[in-house]
Amino acid sequence: MTFDGGAAARPTGRSYLARRRRTGTLLVLPALAVLALILALPIAASLALSLMKADTADFRFGVFVGLENYATLLADPVFALALRNSIYWMVVEVAVVVVVALWFALLLNHPMGRWSVFRIVLLVPWALAPVANAVLWKWIYNSNYGILNFLGTATGVLPGPVVWLGDPALALNALLVAEIWKEIPFITLLLLAGLQNVPRILYRAGRLDGAGPWQTFRFITLPQLRTTILICIVLQSIWALKSFDLVYVLTRGGPANATTMLNFLAYRVSFQFGNLGLGAAVADILFFVMFLLALAYVRVFRPARAAERGAA
Amino acid sequence: MSRRWRARLRRTGILMGLVLFVVWTLAPIVWALISSFLPLRALTATPPDLAPGNFTLDNYLGVLSADRDLIGGLRNSAIVASFTAALALLIGSSAAYALARLRVPGSSKILMLILVTQMFPAMVIIIPLFIVLSRTGLTDSQVGLMIVYLSFVLPIVIWVLKGFFEAVPRELERAAAVDGASTMQTFRLVVLPISLPPLFATGVFAFIEAWNEFFFAVILTQSNAKTAPVVVAEFSGQYVSLYGQMVAAAVIASIPVIVLAIVFRRYILEGFVEGAVKG
Repeated sequence: MTFDGGAAARPTGRSYLARRRRTGTLLVLPALAVLALILALPIAASLALSLMKADTADFRFGVFVGLENYATLLADPVFALALRNSIYWMVVEVAVVVVVALWFALLLNHPMGRWSVFRIVLLVPWALAPVANAVLWKWIYNSNYGILNFLGTATGVLPGPVVWLGDPALALNALLVAEIWKEIPFITLLLLAGLQNVPRILYRAGRLDGAGPWQTFRFITLPQLRTTILICIVLQSIWALKSFDLVYVLTRGGPANATTMLNFLAYRVSFQFGNLGLGAAVADILFFVMFLLALAYVRVFRPARAAERGAA
Repeated sequence: MSRRWRARLRRTGILMGLVLFVVWTLAPIVWALISSFLPLRALTATPPDLAPGNFTLDNYLGVLSADRDLIGGLRNSAIVASFTAALALLIGSSAAYALARLRVPGSSKILMLILVTQMFPAMVIIIPLFIVLSRTGLTDSQVGLMIVYLSFVLPIVIWVLKGFFEAVPRELERAAAVDGASTMQTFRLVVLPISLPPLFATGVFAFIEAWNEFFFAVILTQSNAKTAPVVVAEFSGQYVSLYGQMVAAAVIASIPVIVLAIVFRRYILEGFVEGAVKG
């Protein structure tokens, strides 16, 4: 229960609350105006743009063509490939990141893993600029002098040097490893925060009932972490679909479009081919998918918050 | 006996897991640091020649030399990221306070909306913004970047600060009201001053996000306003065989934000990480 609601707590009666509400509205308005101008309006414009023929030659909104851009996309094999790549990328990234991050979080939540330096270790890849991460992996994957080929051939795992980023069968997975490496730490931090919210008493009860480590994990930790894991899955799906920097620095969508995903395709169509209308159509399809994911996030989030309010 | 052995085995397993965690997480970074201090002939030797005598600052000096754009990029990044962070704090702190405390009608809906905006693909807003900015002559300018950066920094700032303002003791606000302060005065003279540490930390967080941004920067800048990530990306595409310098540039562009993240880790962990899970 909040204090404002209690009659005795109000210093100056009803007008105090009304005054606060009025000032509050004034304080929120500038932020809302800015967000409307640089977010809501452009999104609406982008939806309109996808129904037009517009290009970078004159930087203006063009001629209305209806659903032509969307029809062009549906008939385009590159769009189909980009869609497949995006889905593959998202599914593998989310699965690997969440499973490995959960394992790391369990390790760091163990009394032996509570050393604060481990948290600092997690912050480094998270804060690293995505472009710097891309450059770093470009060097690791270098086919002539990269450390990966050196270690691989020296230990006999690889028969010879591999062209990681030039082989259509390997490039997307090579990018995935670099992306997953960078994304694991933050999800680990989220899961760790979730683990620390699990009531201690449950573990004590489990121990009294003679539960082993696996049973404790399966029947106490996992159910208690359900909401946090769901939030991680939805957030990571959204972030996976946003990936751009790695593709841009490492492969530019190649070889043979093997690493072209929706976000990069939208960029290339708009700013390299100059077809703003078609690019907007790709972006809007991506937007639609991410909007559904965002709705899923809100749905997961709501019950969690309601439960917390109920418990408080 | 067997129980003690099992316990010892578990401890060893956890220890090995922790070692694996540290090696996996830090190995690429350690290799990047080592590479950035080695000359080209040591890096292209098989195996890489790690003799202590080889270590040199040449890659750093080379990449920081005048014709490499990196200094300019760092300056642009610093300016754009600080102003974006400051602007977001200015606009966002009052909104966050109002949404956290002043029972603005529809505040929970507004907050959800703000949360959802963080999930929009940047691609969907950049095309219309690009058209507007190029017609007003604001492409390739620091101001243009700041405006666009507010689109993702402002929602984060509002969301994180809202969490901090919720923790301000209500007694303070009531005491100020009893003393005759208006809501605005209470915010400016009571709430803001005691919230300076979280405000600063949120500003740091916003700074990191803006500093690392690449997508908008590579589309909106050509020469004058190129940020550090754009310069680093261009460098790695242009001087494909200067491996040491390419990595050194990436290290330089990352150091400021990694240092900030480590120094302000307490706020990042409490304010942002737990905020994302708990709301």
